[in-house]
Amino acid sequence: MSETKLSIVDLTKRYAAGLDPAVDRLNMQVEEGHLVALLGPSGCGKTTTLRMVAGLMDPTAGSIVVDGKEITHTPVNKRGMGMVFQSYALFPHMNVEQNVAFGLQMRQTPKAEQKKRVAAALDMVQLGHLGKRQTRELSGGQQQRIALARALVVEPTLLLLDEPLSNLDAKLRETMRTEIRSIQQRTRATTLFVTHDQDEALDMADRIAVMNGGLIEQFGSPTDVYERPQTHFVANFIGQANFLDVTIISETGPAPVAGEASYKVDVEGLGGFGAVGAKGLTGAHELVIRPHRLKVTLTGEGHDALKGTIERVSYTGDALSVAIAVGERSFNAQLLTTSGDLPRRGDTAYLSWAPEDAYLLPAAAPGKAS
Amino acid sequence: MKVTNKGKFAALAAISVSALVLTGCGGGSTPAANDSPDSGEVNLIAYSGVWQDQYTAAVIEPFKAKYPNIKINFSSKRSSAEMLSALQGQKNSPATDVAIMDNSVSTTGNKQGLFEKVDAAGVPNLANVPDDFKNKDGFGPVVMLDAVGLLYDTAAFPKAPDSWDVLWDPAYAGKINVNAPPSLLGLSLTAITSKMEGEDYTQGIDKAVARLKELAPAVQTFAPNPDEYQNVITGQTVLGLGQNARGQFYSDQSNKKMGVTFPKEGTVYQINTVNLVKDAPHAAAAKTFIDYSLSAEAQTAFAKALFYAPSVNNADLPADVKDRVVPTDGSLNIIPLDVDFLSSARDKWTDTWKREIITK
Amino acid sequence: MTLLKTRGRSPLQAAGSGELEKATEKRNRRTYLALLIPGLLGLLVSFVFPLAYMVRMSFNKGAPDGVIEETFTFDTYLQPLTDPYYWKVTLDTFQMGVTVGLLCVLVSYPVALFLARSQSKYRGLLLAIAIAPLLTSAVVRTYGWMVILGTNGLINSSLTGMGLIDTPLKLTNNITGVTIGLVEIFMPYAILAMISGFGRLSPQLEEAAGSLGASKAKIFARVTLPLSLPGILTAFLLVFVLSISTFITPRLLGGGSVQVLATEIYDQTTGLLNWPFAAALSVILLVLFGLIIAVYQRLTRKIGG
Repeated sequence: MSETKLSIVDLTKRYAAGLDPAVDRLNMQVEEGHLVALLGPSGCGKTTTLRMVAGLMDPTAGSIVVDGKEITHTPVNKRGMGMVFQSYALFPHMNVEQNVAFGLQMRQTPKAEQKKRVAAALDMVQLGHLGKRQTRELSGGQQQRIALARALVVEPTLLLLDEPLSNLDAKLRETMRTEIRSIQQRTRATTLFVTHDQDEALDMADRIAVMNGGLIEQFGSPTDVYERPQTHFVANFIGQANFLDVTIISETGPAPVAGEASYKVDVEGLGGFGAVGAKGLTGAHELVIRPHRLKVTLTGEGHDALKGTIERVSYTGDALSVAIAVGERSFNAQLLTTSGDLPRRGDTAYLSWAPEDAYLLPAAAPGKAS
Repeated sequence: MKVTNKGKFAALAAISVSALVLTGCGGGSTPAANDSPDSGEVNLIAYSGVWQDQYTAAVIEPFKAKYPNIKINFSSKRSSAEMLSALQGQKNSPATDVAIMDNSVSTTGNKQGLFEKVDAAGVPNLANVPDDFKNKDGFGPVVMLDAVGLLYDTAAFPKAPDSWDVLWDPAYAGKINVNAPPSLLGLSLTAITSKMEGEDYTQGIDKAVARLKELAPAVQTFAPNPDEYQNVITGQTVLGLGQNARGQFYSDQSNKKMGVTFPKEGTVYQINTVNLVKDAPHAAAAKTFIDYSLSAEAQTAFAKALFYAPSVNNADLPADVKDRVVPTDGSLNIIPLDVDFLSSARDKWTDTWKREIITK
Repeated sequence: MTLLKTRGRSPLQAAGSGELEKATEKRNRRTYLALLIPGLLGLLVSFVFPLAYMVRMSFNKGAPDGVIEETFTFDTYLQPLTDPYYWKVTLDTFQMGVTVGLLCVLVSYPVALFLARSQSKYRGLLLAIAIAPLLTSAVVRTYGWMVILGTNGLINSSLTGMGLIDTPLKLTNNITGVTIGLVEIFMPYAILAMISGFGRLSPQLEEAAGSLGASKAKIFARVTLPLSLPGILTAFLLVFVLSISTFITPRLLGGGSVQVLATEIYDQTTGLLNWPFAAALSVILLVLFGLIIAVYQRLTRKIGG
């Protein structure tokens, strides 16, 4: 078990009395060296949380502890963190080197060392040759890297990234994703990363905090939040999901995943199916099945298969999204394309899934259906 | 383009020729279509402010009652110099008929050919103007007289100061306002000081300058605002230079908070003439107005309203008014400031004040 | 250009549509020119003609009493340029402009900075209040200052009333009064100029500096101030130019003892009626403006980097 680097306890931010809090008694532990993504839709409180950690905003209540020291009310300039802003916030009146050296100057690092570290930081982001350039002459990706170098050169206790990739085009975003991740891993900088892009979070993060309405809905590894969503919101926000309202008939034994159980559930109108979930569930629950885990055939192979009609087909090159109507319900499925004939609208299709791909949400179902 | 230019030239030439012809055979004016001795309009240029208010009430309104068909358009200027520059600007196509302005400035206007001679033919009241107040060459006569007075705060001076020397009294240092030249007040003070120092200011003013230099540090302002009278009334200063006429008027207005007096060393007249503009568009109506301005009725009314001394010998003033207008009977020591001399000295004296007397 | 645009079409088509494009372009240009004409005419009548007239006037000869002798002489220029008095007046004018500019920038900067950074919902209202003085004329405001600064004015009567001074301070009818009046009168201009010049300033940059360890003072010195420098310079230049050309306030609050180029021009024009000389002084003032603006532009280009 690694050390806890950052610990957030009951952190609350209320912008004005009477308003709902933007961040509501939030708790989180971040391990040393981890990259944690704060993921959620806009207005979920992720940026507010980051700004409170950075010291740019005063919490209404709660505390922030870094390396065992409470810093809840330490001024921003005494926190020793490195922050990368969405707009990069490079100083327009300084050249690249001056930008990167700024934090070291504030720390009164000796000149010679400053020079060495600035050069090293620029090399790390592969922009060693652009030190004398004016920042406005740089491309978006280059500015992004300078901002990263500027934040990292001071060897921050925490690296804070506020939607750093949202101003880049799609291709560059992918490259920078890999690059930021690899730099983060090399420097072992504990990092908080705000994003609304689930792919970014899944790809880069060691842990993801899925936020909604000022609360953390789920905190876990990318596979956890994807494969074992704890709430409807998480399942819906990360990836795509088919939701089915089910009633548990019986627990049938252990599941392939340790600590989980297999269940027999009843879907109204469709019959009984196998599913997995936390131990000891009973009554009404929601079942989550990822679209690509659905098996679709046009020939009716296998028993138990549900017969349906293809309502909609959407072709994206390597994948095919299909909506299949089964009675009143509609299922979304994702297929890999093949060179042969592809299913078309109106075709009859047969639908099935493996019990271990059907996950029961632990919370009792409120009665939603998708 | 060339054709148009030629056309324009031809038109200009035609206008010039006809103007010449008219000048040759007529009274030197190009009458407007609706101009006659008892109808039309008169464009008058004269002083602004309280002068305009009082003149309108005392002279123009009664005139309008008497000549309902003549309309008076009053264009007001803050100084005679501004009037002169306006008239110079319209020299080629006059829009003004009558100008009431300072004697020194109207003399310049006469020399520049801006004004027409005025004779008893259209202006019978000219007969009542004594020869001293008529223009030697027959141009516009004096219409009213005033003189430079010493303004004083009645709280500081229960009895009016009797000498200009009071300005140099250290007790009032910093509480004096003096309008520097080119204002007539400043020019007058220069002449008065020169006279007091026993020199002939037409020959040189070195002694006066030396004396005025001593005065300068004690002067609160050389350009009092809103004006020289309000400065004394509000207590910003306790002594100042001003015109007797306005001084008397504001003295009444301020419940005698300020007084105005003529010190024993004498003073300088400020004389206004009434002038007929050359080629005035409404010359006939203008003469009617000039004649009225010289009537005993108008002269008396304005003396009562703003304390200017009449320039005609048939105006009878009540005793309390007579005491407050500048005497024209020789009882007051008048320092003559010759207009011809003044027009050459104005620039020089203004420069001297700016460079030598006014210091920071 | 045309070649590139028409690539992929047959030469015949290309030629035809090229002609068409050219014709359209020509028509467009003609429309633009036509649209410019009213503005240009207005400028010609209200600016170019009077200016040309003034320059021409400055080479005439002025005689006493406003007589203008049509001639072509440089005397009107030689006189002020060789006369130490006018050098002094010019220097005083310059000095007043610099003083007023500096003080005005100094007092306006905090206001402008506050308004530029304010996120308050009252920001618009505050901005309106800051520039509201522009709704009253400079003359009225100058008279206001006369009342406040006078011997028996607000300041002196308060100070004497409190027993802090015995004799009233001389705050008006001198350069002090003119400076105070001008600084206040030009503050709205300075504030507006600064706010418009603060374009590169952003709260994120200050936050970034803070996160990198800069204290509030360091943030101001290293980020806020350098980035607001263009605004400060613009405001300074504007106030400087306005002060050296202003006439009303030096005239009304100067008490005749503040002699600057503008009051000198006024005196020559309306008092002594020496238009040629006044015109020459105006041209000199104009040249002075030109030089200053040229210097300013070089300076801003340097700062703008």
